[in-house]
Amino acid sequence: MSNDTFRIRSLRLFENSPVAGPLITLIAIYILFLFITPNFATWRTLSGIVTAVSISGIVTIGITLLMISGEFDLSLAPMIAMAGYLFGSVSVGADSLITNTLAGWGLPVAVGQGNVTLAIILGLGVPMLMGLVNGLILISTNVPSFIVTLGTRQIYRGIVWIVAGAELLQVLDDPVVYEVFNGRFELLNNFIKNNIIGPESRDRVNFRYATLWLIGLVALYQTLLVRTSFGNHLFAIGGNAGAATAQGVRSAKARVYSFMISGLLAGFAGMVQFSQFKSVRVAEQTGIELTAIAGAVVGGALLTGGYGSVWGALVGVMLISVLRSGVILLKIPFVPADNFPAIVGVTIIASVIFNNYLRNRSTS
Amino acid sequence: MTKNIMEKVAEKRQKDLFADEPVIVDMKNVVKRFGTVEALRGVDFTVRKGEVRALMGDNGAGKSTLIKVLTGVHTLTSGQITFDGEDVQINSPADARALGIETCYQDLALIPLMSIWRNFFLGRELVTNIGPIKWLRRQEMARQCKESLLDIGIHIRSAEEKVGKMSGGERQSIAIGRAIHFGAKLLILDEPTSALSVKETNKVLDYIRAAKERGLPVIFITHNVNHIYEVSDSYTIIRQGQSVGTYQKGELTQQDIADLITGAREK
Repeated sequence: MSNDTFRIRSLRLFENSPVAGPLITLIAIYILFLFITPNFATWRTLSGIVTAVSISGIVTIGITLLMISGEFDLSLAPMIAMAGYLFGSVSVGADSLITNTLAGWGLPVAVGQGNVTLAIILGLGVPMLMGLVNGLILISTNVPSFIVTLGTRQIYRGIVWIVAGAELLQVLDDPVVYEVFNGRFELLNNFIKNNIIGPESRDRVNFRYATLWLIGLVALYQTLLVRTSFGNHLFAIGGNAGAATAQGVRSAKARVYSFMISGLLAGFAGMVQFSQFKSVRVAEQTGIELTAIAGAVVGGALLTGGYGSVWGALVGVMLISVLRSGVILLKIPFVPADNFPAIVGVTIIASVIFNNYLRNRSTS
Repeated sequence: MTKNIMEKVAEKRQKDLFADEPVIVDMKNVVKRFGTVEALRGVDFTVRKGEVRALMGDNGAGKSTLIKVLTGVHTLTSGQITFDGEDVQINSPADARALGIETCYQDLALIPLMSIWRNFFLGRELVTNIGPIKWLRRQEMARQCKESLLDIGIHIRSAEEKVGKMSGGERQSIAIGRAIHFGAKLLILDEPTSALSVKETNKVLDYIRAAKERGLPVIFITHNVNHIYEVSDSYTIIRQGQSVGTYQKGELTQQDIADLITGAREK
């Protein structure tokens, strides 16, 4: 009897969770690749997949919050680039338009004299303001966010172009903050190398700190989403905006906040990315918004709003990354390595069908 | 011909059982224009404490507009609203809620993909403030929600269940239970039975009775003349943005009501 109750309860828990569908798919595909793909069952592949997911994963958190409230933001790539330029220039005091202008304004930074605190404030603050502008345009005009951010995407790109002086920024210094944001996670790498795979193995492990940041942020925002009234309101606005307003939810405020959060996270992603590559260009990460939307949707979020989870979105981007690596390693005839997007496309559609099936079971 | 109806009313004039009760809502000369369209053309509408009032009218007659003015979805163009003895300005649903006006709309009622307790407490969550963060007291809300619903005779398996899984009647019950739980002073139901089976409809009518037993005044919009006889004490007929009149139960035949709604017997 108690066994029965347990089974029913766990099944219900499972049905009510948007993570269920994508997680099943991820595990199934991962196991499938373990068996059929040469070189897939290596630490190198696993750590490569996880590292690749970190930056897009951070962006996907913001997109997921927006999608749950029924909105989109297509202007995240310029925010990432903006954060990269501001953070990169100011952290080391690169000889750039940004450093010189800020120094001219009397801010505590000069060529050759970086200011890490200011770099972080700008790297997070400016993209957050860009998100604020998106949100304010949305609530004051009622133009769909898809259109608003399609416009600001071009405008922001133009602003980045001006701020960057149309140049690639590259730095050679290596301040500690880069290590903290996205250095090699040698403690873990060495542990795995010495204790699990053995020092003689030719397999290489390359985890980075960005993964820890990602896990922390996912936990933080998932908690915010399901445990606070702000999160509750995002679900309500996306699920039925009219009902939410009729129940006294201040939807304008919540929507503006979610755009600011999305900008903030894009800014953080930009800093993490710069910390790894120490360079940034104007067209950095163009198109990442669509990857993030795909990740969120594969991860169980509804394109129409009102349903989804940050965990699910993380699983979604993982799934896409696993597929990419798997398909490339598989060397399928007629599907060359750079043709993996075709496979990803199939997965997006298939997993959404599967997610819909699970969701309908839980709601009707 | 209308004269005939009025004569009949005069003959069968019923005592207004609530005539001595205090007025809960009093709308005077309410006008609402959408651009050049005049949806309400000077409507007077009064409801007293403890009564169940039906609001009837053809599609587009203005009954929903009247209700939406009262609940802050629309702001009135001109006119005056007195609620619970005080002149009020209702500019948003939040204003209406703060006054104690609880509404369940056909289209704006609930969020199917959210759980019962989240719907029940939406916009009025029980929270613990941790700095700027409003931490939801989830178990407490789930418990209170389940108890409140049980109190008016609604059994739910779990407050964690999604509203989308519930039947139409059960969904209405959440709105009614919510109104009672939060100590509303007036409950408004917009066509609560329009999409329901006979069995479900009867359940909803029971819930309306449960609300009435607790002294909660109810206004409900309906197309169904039978419902008036089942639960309401009186009914107001709206036609072309104006109030035709308010009648006590038993004053008019169903045919009379139908004629007044459609305007088949013009003055």
